[in-house]
Amino acid sequence: MGFANNTIIKTEDIWKVYDLGRVHLDILKGIDLEILEGDFVVILGPSGSGKSTLLNLISCLDVPSKGKVTVEGNDISGLSEDELAEVRGKKIGFVFQQFNLLSHLTALENVIIPSIFQGKRSYDVKDKAGNILTSLGLEGRVNHKPAELSGGEKQRVAIARSLINDPDIIVADEPTGNVDSKTGEKIMNILVKLNKDEGKTVIVVTHDTELTKFANRVISIKDGEIHDQ
Amino acid sequence: MTSEYFKIALRNLRSRRLRSWLTILGIVIGVFLVISMLSLSEGLRQSIMQELQSMGPDMIMVFPGDSFDITTLISGAELEDREVNAVRRARGVDVVLEMPWTALVVRHYQESKTTMIVGISLEEGISVLRDDMGWNTTSGEFARPGRREVMAGSLVPIDVFSNLQTGDILNIGGRSFTVSGILRSLGNRQDDMSIIMDLSSFREVTGKREGTPIAMVRIQDGYLVEDVMGNIERELERVAVRTQGSDSPSFSVTSSEAVMDMVDNILGALQWAVVAFASIAILVGGIGIMNTMFTSVRERTKEIGVLKAVGAKRRDISFIFLFESGIIGFIGGVGGVIFGVGAALLAEAFLREAHPVLYIEAHISPWLIIFGLMFSFLIGCASGFFPARQASKLEPVEALRYE
Repeated sequence: MGFANNTIIKTEDIWKVYDLGRVHLDILKGIDLEILEGDFVVILGPSGSGKSTLLNLISCLDVPSKGKVTVEGNDISGLSEDELAEVRGKKIGFVFQQFNLLSHLTALENVIIPSIFQGKRSYDVKDKAGNILTSLGLEGRVNHKPAELSGGEKQRVAIARSLINDPDIIVADEPTGNVDSKTGEKIMNILVKLNKDEGKTVIVVTHDTELTKFANRVISIKDGEIHDQ
Repeated sequence: MTSEYFKIALRNLRSRRLRSWLTILGIVIGVFLVISMLSLSEGLRQSIMQELQSMGPDMIMVFPGDSFDITTLISGAELEDREVNAVRRARGVDVVLEMPWTALVVRHYQESKTTMIVGISLEEGISVLRDDMGWNTTSGEFARPGRREVMAGSLVPIDVFSNLQTGDILNIGGRSFTVSGILRSLGNRQDDMSIIMDLSSFREVTGKREGTPIAMVRIQDGYLVEDVMGNIERELERVAVRTQGSDSPSFSVTSSEAVMDMVDNILGALQWAVVAFASIAILVGGIGIMNTMFTSVRERTKEIGVLKAVGAKRRDISFIFLFESGIIGFIGGVGGVIFGVGAALLAEAFLREAHPVLYIEAHISPWLIIFGLMFSFLIGCASGFFPARQASKLEPVEALRYE
């Protein structure tokens, strides 16, 4: 892609500031960060450290108060909300702590949803969605609704959903936070496999130091600043 | 793309089934009112129009009293012979038909019933009745002038004397008459339950030498209805001056066309009122949709955040919510049409059973149905506009954090 060192995400002195009248909060204080293509990064930090805010910025959910975020060579700092949505839809897959599946849709339909916003017809991506679910060991759960799935199954459906648009980057916010440790291990192994076999760049945000063992790079964040990388 | 939004919207509505149906009900009621009331009032208008039209547009009617209204008809005021003759003298008048009526006891074999009797001069009038007013018989023939013959309205053999047939003898006021024929329906119940006889026989049977509550006038070829109406009024005024020393009108002259216009105006206004009230009902239903949609946006804030995170743009979110409210409106419209048409047909059947003076046939026009569906769909979309906008403007980060 003609980008030096295959940098996929770069932040330059990004700040996130909340001005709530009397209270002035600096959530992020000038973060400089470079994530390379094919990295498996764990961003580690206690709650309130600003790690989720950082994830929001590098995953194009939000824009910084100051500074510059570059994703695959494109500066996203000045993009409109719809332009950000476009970038997210095409390049980034999301996995959340709460799974965030739509409760009235089946596993298959949940996986298909993101492709609809890319102008595809559900009929055309049905097979692909089914294949992804199968590859994650969910072939028997395709037509189940989230309420009928275990925590681990829900998170695997969420991972399947994050893959439907073939993104280069997968971001996961505490992906093991709502499952037991054994299931958490499985979830992490799936992400590792996606990183190794398919070359996806994976960014995991967590407060759980256990997860650092899966990463090839760990970034510690504390009080809105990078502590260690 | 659109069909995908539609599918998502439908799934969302189905996941909140009870609330969706209750909201739909709000629209159903409004559309139900529009469809049922307009079908019936249009049916009423058309049945009146049909009857007036069957008289022919060139017929003039002369009534006693200074205005043509229901009180004149009930008060028993009548035109006297000299007034009827004045009408005959007016330029452009071809035939004047007196049409007095009264209720008399009629006997058919052992059965006696009070029945409406109408007298018409058959010698003068047969051509007017046949050619201008479209009378016809379903069995037998028209009664002949000067004979003791009568014609029975189409409902007489059904509702008055069962099994009455052509050739039967009826005893009216102590005199015997032969039924020469049964008339085809004249379009209203009252006429169809009457017995029609020659004017001379009517005078004889009732003992009344003159007087009629209405005179029907056919004009000569080459004259305009308005001109002849003016001529008739002048002649009648002249009679009034001569006999009472006053030219204040004690009669009214009108044409079937004028009566049609009047009926059209009254029922037109009635229909507008119906549309106005029912539109308010639909509007209230629309507010119900808006309420439901706002609640929905709030409840689904997190879901909206998720959709935005996975790539939904503002427009996508807007469309999903607009489709939801549009579907609510449209289904409400369909329900309203079904119930409205059903109610109109039921009312029609009920009124037929209840022996009304006027027979109403519900008039269900396809345009009315299309209007009902379109209007409810548009109200649905309009009600969803602000909630959809609110949903589309949610910040993804904030929405995802919402619990």
